[in-house]
Amino acid sequence: MLDLWELASIASKFAIYLGVLTSVGTVFAAILFRLSDFRGFTSGFAILGIAAAAVGFLLVGAALTGDVRGMTDPEILTLLWSTNVGTSLALRIAGLGLLIVGLFIGRIGMFMSLIGGGFALWSFVNIGHVSDRSSPGLNIILMFHLVAISTWIGVLSPLSKLSRDATKILETAELGHNFGKVAVVFIPALIIAGGYMGYVIVGSLSALFTAAYGQALILKTLSVAGLLSFAAINKLRIIPQIASGDQTATGRLAKSISYEWIVIIAILLITAVLTTTLTLPA
Amino acid sequence: MRLILLTAIMGIWATEAAAHSPLKQTLPADGATISDMPPEVILNFKGKIRLTRIKVTYEEKYIEDLNLDSFESFAASYAVPVKEMGSGAYSIKWRGLGADGHILNGSFGFVLEE
Repeated sequence: MLDLWELASIASKFAIYLGVLTSVGTVFAAILFRLSDFRGFTSGFAILGIAAAAVGFLLVGAALTGDVRGMTDPEILTLLWSTNVGTSLALRIAGLGLLIVGLFIGRIGMFMSLIGGGFALWSFVNIGHVSDRSSPGLNIILMFHLVAISTWIGVLSPLSKLSRDATKILETAELGHNFGKVAVVFIPALIIAGGYMGYVIVGSLSALFTAAYGQALILKTLSVAGLLSFAAINKLRIIPQIASGDQTATGRLAKSISYEWIVIIAILLITAVLTTTLTLPA
Repeated sequence: MRLILLTAIMGIWATEAAAHSPLKQTLPADGATISDMPPEVILNFKGKIRLTRIKVTYEEKYIEDLNLDSFESFAASYAVPVKEMGSGAYSIKWRGLGADGHILNGSFGFVLEE
């Protein structure tokens, strides 16, 4: 069974994923689709990411001593800081810090937020099961995967907000349509990237079905498939309805986006479990 | 659907909690019965790790932290001094940090029959 520390570390990882991907993704989406009115929302999630990263780091300290002392033991924390666990924490705090500052200093600030967001995403490439394989190609694929999925997450809230404003039906249709155009390119690439990384990490088809790690990966893939079906309904049905002036379609879009959020939260939870407690098949 | 996903996730949590355990060999070996208590327990790992905590439990009632102060860098092999507490079952639990930043932990046990 999982102990309390492992549950806490899964929770902190989930909060890191949610905070980093949502804040960075909203910046990407804002730049890509020229959005406004996203700064408060974005800084909130960036602060969540920073706090969760700090707590997560201290929890690793606790895992090293097996008790709460590790969270404050200078020797343990210095030791951790010197490994890539420390580097990832530094990337997350510096990156998200830069992102927040950038949000509030005008046009050049968006460039700062972009760079900061890049650092924060790179923290995941720096650590974990993919970085263990130490292959530059794989690192680039993971970085692409992170940029694409965060942009997807980032566009959801602005789109949902627009769809709930009856005066902004045109803007809603435009953002939905523009995102759909980008998604047609990056979603197939995302599927290929995810499939390839899964193949490299798990190593064999039999391990995919027998090992718990493989099974969790299947569950993640099924959830992604669920997410794709919502996205497809949005793009092919709801957005065209909104574009043709159907007032009731905006409500359906908002509802569909909340379902997407539920699936995304499930995917991030599965990922937190995958990267925390499950061993890679040998 | 929310329910299905949650159930599935709980399922994974409940069934599988294997941590990374990279021990190659220990002395005394796991499950061994020995007649002389060695002055130290030896842990050989597959790669370099930094042990951060190691404790011995004697007969499931007496627990003692072993001293790691003399180890200050990553190493693949550790010889940690341990003292004899009498005949019976000894269990050693250890925790450490892999050079790649992974948390490692594990345990092994042996029986002293004098």
